[in-house]
Amino acid sequence: MTGGAWLCLLAPLGGTIVITLLGTRISRLAAAWIATTTVFVAFGGAVWAFVDMQSRQVGSRSEITTAWTWLQSGNFKVGLELLVDPLSAVMMLIVSGVGGLIVLYSIGYMDGDEEERRYFAYISFFVFSMLLLVEGGNLLMLLIGWGLVGLSSYLLIGFWHDRPSAVQAAKKAFVMNALGDATMALAFFILIAHTNSLSFATDFNAHLSGTAANFVALGLLGGAVAKSAQIPLQTWLPDAMEGPTPVSALIHAATMVTAGVYLIARTHPLFEQARTIELLAAGTGALTLLVAGLIALVQTDIKKVIAYSTMSQIGYMFLGAGVGAYSSGMFHLLTHAFFKALLFMTAGLAIHAIAGEQDIRKLRGIGRLMPFTKWCFLAGALALVGIPPFSGFFSKDPIISSAAALGTWYGWIFWVCGVAGAFLTGLYTFRLWFLVFPGEPSPFVREHYHDHHGREGAWTMLVPVGILAVLATFAGWLQWTPHWDPFTKWLEPVAPTLAAAVPTTTQEYYTSAAAVVAGLVGIGVAWAVYSRRTIAIPAAPFWRRLFENKFYFDWLYDRIFYRPAAATATFLLRDFEDPVILQAGPDLGEATIETGGLVRRLQTGLLRTYVLFVAAGAAAVVLAFLIAK
Amino acid sequence: MLGPGVAWYVAVAAVLFGIGALGVLIRRNTLVVLLSLELMLNAGNLALIAFSRHFHNGAGQIFALAVMAIAASEVCVGLGLVVALNRRRLSLDVDRLSELRG
Repeated sequence: MTGGAWLCLLAPLGGTIVITLLGTRISRLAAAWIATTTVFVAFGGAVWAFVDMQSRQVGSRSEITTAWTWLQSGNFKVGLELLVDPLSAVMMLIVSGVGGLIVLYSIGYMDGDEEERRYFAYISFFVFSMLLLVEGGNLLMLLIGWGLVGLSSYLLIGFWHDRPSAVQAAKKAFVMNALGDATMALAFFILIAHTNSLSFATDFNAHLSGTAANFVALGLLGGAVAKSAQIPLQTWLPDAMEGPTPVSALIHAATMVTAGVYLIARTHPLFEQARTIELLAAGTGALTLLVAGLIALVQTDIKKVIAYSTMSQIGYMFLGAGVGAYSSGMFHLLTHAFFKALLFMTAGLAIHAIAGEQDIRKLRGIGRLMPFTKWCFLAGALALVGIPPFSGFFSKDPIISSAAALGTWYGWIFWVCGVAGAFLTGLYTFRLWFLVFPGEPSPFVREHYHDHHGREGAWTMLVPVGILAVLATFAGWLQWTPHWDPFTKWLEPVAPTLAAAVPTTTQEYYTSAAAVVAGLVGIGVAWAVYSRRTIAIPAAPFWRRLFENKFYFDWLYDRIFYRPAAATATFLLRDFEDPVILQAGPDLGEATIETGGLVRRLQTGLLRTYVLFVAAGAAAVVLAFLIAK
Repeated sequence: MLGPGVAWYVAVAAVLFGIGALGVLIRRNTLVVLLSLELMLNAGNLALIAFSRHFHNGAGQIFALAVMAIAASEVCVGLGLVVALNRRRLSLDVDRLSELRG
């Protein structure tokens, strides 16, 4: 079991190292296959760990494996250790499995790029970082993985480093993530101060005072919010679309943004001690899922629509994890990994075939030319909206019904947000669908479409898309909470659902009905507005401006943080650095020369003067001693 | 304890030291300056040995031995410099050797 975990962790790292060291001595394709193989080896390791774990008793499925003691100071000790338990096994499978498919897809997508080798070194490193995050056996290992994920996302978002916008986006993502890393580190400092340990077992069983528990949970929530692009630290995610499309798929589906949900599920004992903060996480999720859904309505870039849908879906996961239904949040994470990777990869197929065009107003009617892409996208879209029998239905609805199970006023607010979010999801997803896929191909599409030897893309791109389409359709059947729940049972030893968040069967049924109807209404409205055009798009200039400017978050941060900082820097440059620091050099030099001119008179060159000084000095010392006595 | 008291020895040493110091200060011949330096060192030696006897403590005598060794090396260097000066036909007058004036 632990062997599989180590194999899973180290294989992608090995891939990175090999590709980096061999450099240009191997062909681009060889680098690509090394990366793909190592990530699939990692998946093999994850399967090994999973199968082994399944054959064990429920009570003995959790194991910590320590390579060596890494840091020791007094009785504070941190080992280089991995934790293999049902939760990390699920994450290992998702990260390496979906990650492997994405890396395979990249072979076709990145074909012909100048710096393919660097890309594949980075992408294996990304998978390694995420695996370290989910397998880390103590909070410090988790934080290291957390930081490395931020680093590798920076490297990949800014992969096309000759585009200024990509570099800006990479920096933005890094800074936003660093903010979360910092709050998380602060939470860990509080934990060390109270428990003198960073091990999961000690910290989760510690009883913190109310204030300490709240601060710890708040710090962890800060990290989760930054990594998972929730309000108020969400602005980096849409910009991250500057990276290559497979990177977007990787960031959005298998790695990175799901880390926040994993963190809440992993550290739920800490959150449960600070229930207010946990509900704050749920509220953040509910707010984000609405805001992201509204912004997605007016986006014109195919990747940005999908990006906002990710923010929205992660909002659902936060909502689920925040109300205490950890396994529902994790289950939605699982199905979301499939259908979101699928959506990004089908969008990537279209973009790849149309010479890099991403504007949905120009892509009209591409489905006629790319039927495989079209049907796979439809499967992903239906899963995203949560229409049965596609997977989103099985994973999204339990989250909303858990909110209903709370029974309190905020529970019902969450419930309404969830259902309204389902409507928005249907609307923006099928706006995208009706604008891009059906109908007659536009002249632009006819002119720029070029297939790949008679197919819609290289086989390395089509195969992963096909596999993910099947998974996005059927993976939800793993669990239908009113009737069978193997996934929840599997996670129960690690993250049991809070009693308050277990919905009754009735609640599940009427929630499902409401969510599906809301989704269908959303699809219907999208059909009426964007396909039939029987309903005109309401002008509502205020709302349109609000959505198009992403609720002015970027504007606000620009005014609050960037501009004062830039103004201070300019002020310091003009009024401090130039006159004070830069002028200090010449001034200091002149003062030294002047002093030197005075002091040089002491150097007469005559032996007798020196001797006199020595004698006078000695006499003065003797005199001083005598007087002191 | 035979002979004069320690004060006498110290007085002699002080006189010797004073003569040496004056020599260094006043005389201009390099050789005489070196000689005066030796005088000062030996004044120190005398004081060390006198105090050593007075306090029945061997350490002073060991110090004197160390001072002698240092004096010997100092003379080596000093005379070496004098020889070098002479070879280059430079003046042996210390007042004229004042190139280090600032």
